[in-house]
Formats: sequence, structure tokens, C-alpha cells
Amino acid sequence: MEKPVVVYEPFRAGLPPMREYMPSLWSRRTFIAEFSRSELREQNYGSIFGQLWLVLNPLLLSGVYFLLIYVIGGSSDAIRFGHLTASLFLFYLIANSLTGGVKAITSGQRLILNTSFPRIMLPISATVIALFKFIPTLFVFVIIHAVIGLPYSWQMLWAIPILLIALIMALGMAILISCINVYFRDISSMLPYLTRSLLYLSPILYEASSVSDRIRTLEIANPIFYLLDAWSRVVVHAEAPSMNSLLHATAWALFIFLTGTYFFLARERDFAVRL
Amino acid sequence: MKDLGLTYTTSIDKKPTLKARLKTLGRGKKHTRIVRALNDVSIDVHYGTVLGIIGSNGAGKSSLMRVISGIVPPTQGRVEVFGSVSTLLALGVGFNPSMTGRDNVYLGGLAAGMSREEIDASFDSIAEFSELGESIDAPMRTYSSGMYARLAFSVAAVVEPDILIIDEALSTGDAKFKEKSLNRIKELRTADRALILVSHALATIEDICNEVIWLNKGKLMMRGNPSDVIAAYREFVDARKSASSDEDV
Repeated sequence: MEKPVVVYEPFRAGLPPMREYMPSLWSRRTFIAEFSRSELREQNYGSIFGQLWLVLNPLLLSGVYFLLIYVIGGSSDAIRFGHLTASLFLFYLIANSLTGGVKAITSGQRLILNTSFPRIMLPISATVIALFKFIPTLFVFVIIHAVIGLPYSWQMLWAIPILLIALIMALGMAILISCINVYFRDISSMLPYLTRSLLYLSPILYEASSVSDRIRTLEIANPIFYLLDAWSRVVVHAEAPSMNSLLHATAWALFIFLTGTYFFLARERDFAVRL
Repeated sequence: MKDLGLTYTTSIDKKPTLKARLKTLGRGKKHTRIVRALNDVSIDVHYGTVLGIIGSNGAGKSSLMRVISGIVPPTQGRVEVFGSVSTLLALGVGFNPSMTGRDNVYLGGLAAGMSREEIDASFDSIAEFSELGESIDAPMRTYSSGMYARLAFSVAAVVEPDILIIDEALSTGDAKFKEKSLNRIKELRTADRALILVSHALATIEDICNEVIWLNKGKLMMRGNPSDVIAAYREFVDARKSASSDEDV
């Protein structure tokens, strides 16, 4: 008799066999894309502008800050406006990934209970959706950048590795929080406060350089503080990021991604009976 | 892959329950309850077999299906699967109501593990089988539940796996479509495929299956040819005098 194609056995704690898991995840990539696309469309379903909201959202958001800084504030601080929009757009990539990820598993109940597939696909979709929402904001920022006359330089290419770090961080957070939410459903209710705190604790409404040294040291505990600082330095000031902030951001991103993935993979076979 | 043996050997014990979860972070108290959904069940299903599974509610039928299809890992024993498995445990899994029927054919097909090319190739037959006509391009939230079920079954029916597991999916749509889907299942009965069917409709089981197992409270009560097992099961149900609440015989 030929060897069995698949064997299911009781599992002990630890990771599932990666040699089977990874190809199975890779073979589902079209589903991830299609699933994310349909979820995204669902979010804007029934609105007059539909998918146009993906561009309208960042435009309106920057409009609000334009009003705040230029009109009400009466200043013409282009750097401040650029910093605010650029940092906020990147922050939303991470925040959207978190808010999408938190319910990725619990709302995918029907799928999980009735089909066998790598569960990590669901939080990955949440990050893909966040990325889909982020891409139009990049274009909006490019226009803002040109209109308000911010400087350009080759150092701006640093934006690419910084974006990659941000994506790993966003993905890691989505994976981790989706897994935690299976066991502690309260996380989804606490999340708005968590993201709000993250917003105020990170250099978005202010620049990292305006914070005292003591606070800056404390901010080592904030995973996105130095990431956002590096991002603003590169895309707004057109300067190279400091190596310290890059290292800090990379270390946090890898830490969150690796621990999140480990917990998720070790626990995912348990999800079907926990939902 | 003809004449290939297909062996399932499951013997499962102790399974964390669906309701076992931590309610609150603050309380830190674990509410778990242990349910023995399946208890030392050993069966083997060979290609060419259409296996019916019967039993009252909570007998472990769905758990068995989920273990075989790899959705829930067993806590004891071993499942060996020789071939590709497709599960039809619920209709319309992966469907998104705000998308059109056409988009959902792709979504459902991809969720079932098909590739985009495979769906492209069988799209026309899916659309035809579902008898939706023009409505296939309307959003699914405008569908009636019958139309929804018809499309869902059509997507599932074109997947041609080595092993097909169907749970209660037959009871969809109107009488005409029911017959059509039943016929499709009969078509899928070939020597190089194994079908596993869970249903409360004993007449259907007797009609389609060539082997039946009867589960009760997670234990395998009987296995054999359909008429014998169903007769024994009916006798058992009558004896418990709860037939009316349990079965739609």
C-alpha cells in the first residue's frame, strides 16, 4: 500500500510540521488576495464612492490637519504638516492591521470550522487589507510632498527598508493579537484604547526631537516610536535615518513577528474547538 | 490512483469542548469542560465506498468528519488519508454576501482549495448547475436562501476530490434541486473515489450508501450494510421512545 498523503495525529505543544505547512500556505496565496479584496469591498459596500474611499479617506484626513495647522494655527509650517500626514499614514498601516487582525480568527469561524487550511492566512489577510488601504495614502503623500515643497534627496530611498520593517511589524501584531483574541475576547474591546495610546505615545502629533531625553529613553518600550521617527526623517526631512532607530525598529518588528507567529502556529490547531 | 487503499483509523478520546474558553482576562479563571466526542472509533474506508454515518444529535458525527478532514486534530489515535479531501460540511463557506454570485464562485472555489484556472475551466458548468441564469451577476445579498444554497452546492459539486465528505448538505433548495444534487452525488460515486455522507435522512442514506456506520455518544455502535444498520438504529431509537425529538425518519 502506498504511503498516506496526510496523517493526522494528536499534537503536542510546538509547531506543526513546517515542511507541509509552508507549501500549503503558499498554495493559498490567490485565496488570500481574493479574500482580502472581497473584505475590502465589503467595507465600502453601499457607499456612494465605493472603493474611491480608499483615496478619499487619506485626503480628508490630511485636509483636517491642513485646517488645524494652516488655517486655525495660522502657521505655514510645511515640515510640521508633512510630518503629521506622513507619520499618520504609516501609523494607520499598523493600526488597521491590528484592528483587522484582532477579529480575523473569531470572525472567520465558519471558515475555520468547515475547511482545513493554514489559519495564519486570516491575520495575513488583515495585513494585506491594511496594505491595500495604505498604498493610496502613499500617492496622496507624494502629492502633498510636492505641493508644500518639502526637500528631496537620495536618502529618501531608505523609505523602502523602513516600509518593510513596518510591514513585518504590522503582520506580527495582527498574527499575535488574532491569536490572543481567541483566548481573551476582551482584547477586541480594549484595542481602541491601545491604538489611541500608541497614537499619542508615538511621534505623530509631535516630532521625536522635541521630546526630552528621559522620555526618549522610556520610549524604547514603544515598538513604533523609533520606526515612525525614522520614517519622518526620511520622507519629510529627506535625511538618512539614525542607525539606532533602524535597529530599534527592526528588533521590535522581528521580536513581535517571531513570537506572534510561534504562538499562533503552536496554538492554531486548537482554534476550531475554541470558537 | 485507482485501487488505492484508503484507511482511516481514528480512536479519539477527550476533546476540549467548544465552550471551553477563558471568559475574561481579569478573572483569570479557566472554564473548561471535557467532552468525549469520539471514543475509540476505528474505521477504514476504501475507494469505491459510499459510507453513510448516522446517529442522533451529539453522537459525534460532525466531530468525526472534522477529524477526518484535518480541521480538528485527534487527541488520541491516528488518521491516515490517501488522497485529496474535499469537505462539504456547510454550504457557502467563504462566501461574501456583498459580492456577486460570480465573484463568490471564485471565492468559494478558492476556499475549497481549487486554483483560479480550475475555477475558470469549470465556471460555466457551475453557473449552469446552479440554474441562476442572469442572477449570477447580482450581489449575493439579494439572493433568496434557496438561490444561495443552490450556488453553494454547485461550487462544491464541481470539486472532484478523491475523498468527498458531505455533512447534511443535501437538505437544500426545493425538491427539484434536492433531487438534482442527489443525482450529482450519485454521479460522484465512482470506483476511484470515496464518499462519506452524514445525514439524518435515513432514506437517502439507504439509497446512496453501500456501507453505513452508526455512532452513539462518540462510540461506534454498528457497521455494515445500510438496511441492517438502519434497522438496528431505528429499533434503538424507538426503544428510547424519543424518536420524534431526535430524527426525521
